[in-house]
Amino acid sequence: MAGVVPPGTTTQSEAPTPTKEERVDYMNLPCPIPYEEIHREAFMSLKPELFEGMRFDFTKGLNPKFALSHSVYMGPTTIPSQSSETIKIPTAQYEFGANFLDPKLMLVGRLLTDGRLNARVKCDLTDNLSLKANAQLTNEPHMSHGIVYFDYKGKDYRTQFQMGTGALFGANYIQSVTPHLSLGGEVFWAGQHRKSGVGYAARYNTDKMVATGQVASTGMVALSYVQKVSEKVSLASDLMYNYMSREVSTSIGYDYILRQCRLRGKIDSNGCTSAFLEERLSMGLNFILSAEIDHSKKDYKFGFGLTVGE
Amino acid sequence: MASKVALKTKGKASGKKASPEEKSMAQNLKEWSTWAVKKAKVITHYGFIPLVIIIGMNSEPKPHLSQLLSPV
Repeated sequence: MAGVVPPGTTTQSEAPTPTKEERVDYMNLPCPIPYEEIHREAFMSLKPELFEGMRFDFTKGLNPKFALSHSVYMGPTTIPSQSSETIKIPTAQYEFGANFLDPKLMLVGRLLTDGRLNARVKCDLTDNLSLKANAQLTNEPHMSHGIVYFDYKGKDYRTQFQMGTGALFGANYIQSVTPHLSLGGEVFWAGQHRKSGVGYAARYNTDKMVATGQVASTGMVALSYVQKVSEKVSLASDLMYNYMSREVSTSIGYDYILRQCRLRGKIDSNGCTSAFLEERLSMGLNFILSAEIDHSKKDYKFGFGLTVGE
Repeated sequence: MASKVALKTKGKASGKKASPEEKSMAQNLKEWSTWAVKKAKVITHYGFIPLVIIIGMNSEPKPHLSQLLSPV
């Protein structure tokens, strides 16, 4: 039986050059990763969806393109509080979702019991131009927002323009400079919060490692490094530094992708360690365990869940 | 829902051109686009999931209605 490998775990491999002695063909560079996914490997290894409580997801495919999903979650939810202690309220929610996946059109909608709708649309208008939209709509006034993205993919560059509610405008551009290195930049303007900014990013990857760096004028500096030690093991680390508020945090983690399970663990400089296990009990049945221990805030979160369906 | 910046610039740039009794074109346009955005939000909120279901039920191979409702 073929092993189940979650998508996106391998580092981006460029078009294979036959021998190392050949000169690099700068006219034929590969298309780079989209700008917002530049930290993709580090993000997938270091930030699994940790949760607390019980989670049950059931996905039923009605045909290869269309699926309905039902998801139940019961557990404490942290609400933001002014004091240093964390306040948790037990909540229970049911989420109904419908997915339609076509090569040209993708529609994903999720509806929660409190009336919140998460909608995602991705449409390929032509081979190179695609339109994406994300929306979170609620019943409360002024709490809904949505963003529309226009992506254009060139031969060795990608560019994106975004418009959102709250007068949010942004654009970014990323270009492959060598077969391993891509550089990009972005600008954004948020009218409602009166913020604007410029950012730059760089990504260097080979078959065995990915190193990325991102700087933004909002004061954020983010660096990450992922090393693929073997087919089954990846180690990742990242550093986030805010030069305006002088806060820094770093984390180191591992990602084991084995035949029957995927185990991700990390430790943080904020005194937080976490682990996330997805075990495949049989075809279509996954058992999930999540643990997060925050020693500095004394917040201990443990969760378990079951996922049925692909 | 927050109005888009297009509405804001129109409001800032033109303002009230005519006398207080008459509404100017920009004012009307701004009101209509706010009304349209509000209606679009309600339509999306109620209609997005039914739209996905309709598109899915009409895609090949057509699933049966009972498959939509039963848990198996």
